[in-house]
Amino acid sequence: MTITILQSGTQTLIMDAGRPGHRHQGIPGGGAADKLSFAIANHLVGNNWDTPALECALGGLHIRFDENYIIAISGAEMWSQNQGLNLPINKAVQVEAGDILTMSFTRSGCRSYLAIAGGVKATPFMGSVSTYLPAKLGGLDGEALKTGDILNIGAPISGPRTLPKSHIPLLSNHIVLRAEQGPEWEYLSDASKRYLFTTPFYATVATDRMGARLKGDSVTLDTPLNMTSSPLLPGSLQIPPDGQPILALADGHCTGGYARALQVIQADLWLLGQIAPGAAVSFRRNLADDADSILRGKNSYYADLIPGFSF
Amino acid sequence: MTNPHSSPKISIYGDHAILVNWETDGFSDAVNDMVHSLATALRESDKYIEVVPGYDSLVCVFDLGQRSVDSTKRHIEDVLARRSFGESKVGQLVEVPVHYGGNDGPDMGTICASAKLSADEVIALHSQQDYRVCMMGFIPGFTFLSPAPKELHHPRLATPRAKVPAGSIGIANWQTGIYGLESPGGWQIIGRTPLSIFEAKRETPFLLNAGDRVRFIPQ
Repeated sequence: MTITILQSGTQTLIMDAGRPGHRHQGIPGGGAADKLSFAIANHLVGNNWDTPALECALGGLHIRFDENYIIAISGAEMWSQNQGLNLPINKAVQVEAGDILTMSFTRSGCRSYLAIAGGVKATPFMGSVSTYLPAKLGGLDGEALKTGDILNIGAPISGPRTLPKSHIPLLSNHIVLRAEQGPEWEYLSDASKRYLFTTPFYATVATDRMGARLKGDSVTLDTPLNMTSSPLLPGSLQIPPDGQPILALADGHCTGGYARALQVIQADLWLLGQIAPGAAVSFRRNLADDADSILRGKNSYYADLIPGFSF
Repeated sequence: MTNPHSSPKISIYGDHAILVNWETDGFSDAVNDMVHSLATALRESDKYIEVVPGYDSLVCVFDLGQRSVDSTKRHIEDVLARRSFGESKVGQLVEVPVHYGGNDGPDMGTICASAKLSADEVIALHSQQDYRVCMMGFIPGFTFLSPAPKELHHPRLATPRAKVPAGSIGIANWQTGIYGLESPGGWQIIGRTPLSIFEAKRETPFLLNAGDRVRFIPQ
């Protein structure tokens, strides 16, 4: 029960729901950068939502299936073909032993999730197989997948499933994130406070699972801030002295020393995983009283369909 | 001096985290003790996804789908009111060999210029005292130490480096610390240790823990 990596693409990683609870040791929760698309792919093939799957960033992945499998692809819209035939995304499909799957040319979003019925097997570290490249944790020896890697696949626990179209998120290359004030918001200049919520930024090539270095008009503080290093979370927008914000993502640093201007709300954290280099990123002010109902609404929208999943 | 028994400020950090912050003018051992005591108590309560202590602050992350911001704030206030804070445990003393300057310490010149000292004087100053491990974080094995001597204080780089090698020893304002792994970073780097602070496959992955003390040995 194996699959073989023929080409690993830009970056393909084994991911599950991550290893929360270790930020005080400097180990981020990590896991699938876009938890929603990851859960959808798993659900479609009949897996539990948090079963290990492949996270493929920007495409270039070629895989050979060594047995018959049920697979599903969700998340970023890529041109995916099995044996040269276009594959639908967000739909469970049957592939046969010897079939070759190619995923390439991302049209929107950044990361596609390839789930295989039965799930990918790997050795967990601190309860998770999620790959964390900076410390070489999880995955296959802590590395991104390479040409020639052979992955073991588990036994399916149930048959394929479907999901209503209304539950499939629409991704674009303009990521809009609802955010609330971060701890150092008050240090921003008045102009920057307005500007942060009105103009889009662009994700530079310095964008990976740790963070997205954004580019736009400079965000400034009223007075320079010499901060003591303090805990930092995924979805925190930091402002270094050069004024170009850095958005912390799934593998983001556990502490930081720059002003934390904004914090993306819990309901929108999954979208952080779909910021590709070059994408536009906008922030919308979220009122504290609304965050609760937004999250409850989104959780209940999926609760009956994907057991155990929540944002 | 900061009164360690003064109440910290409890504020909202986005919609799913709370920041507890003590006012300090620089660094206080007593405050860092409080931070770690509160962290222990909050972790024991099992209500939080993450409890992340800092030098003078603590962030706890909760699931907004399970708890409200208000009830979380109230819980922290209750714990602070009830908890009697004890002395923190004194950990082990770890000797850390360091190659200062050169390729291992690209910002040595910056620190010498701002301190108006020679490299040898900076090395002597930086390695003359034992440091306390105040927090671990940033990335696995990043070791945040108690303040460096005043002459060496210097702001972070305006633009962080894309890559700082593992073992690099840096300065950020009054803080000094060790990069446990290669990572991006904005600290002024003055040296590097060959020790690996974090090694996933080692029986004890972390060489240092909060509460330990560190003595730098110039090589």
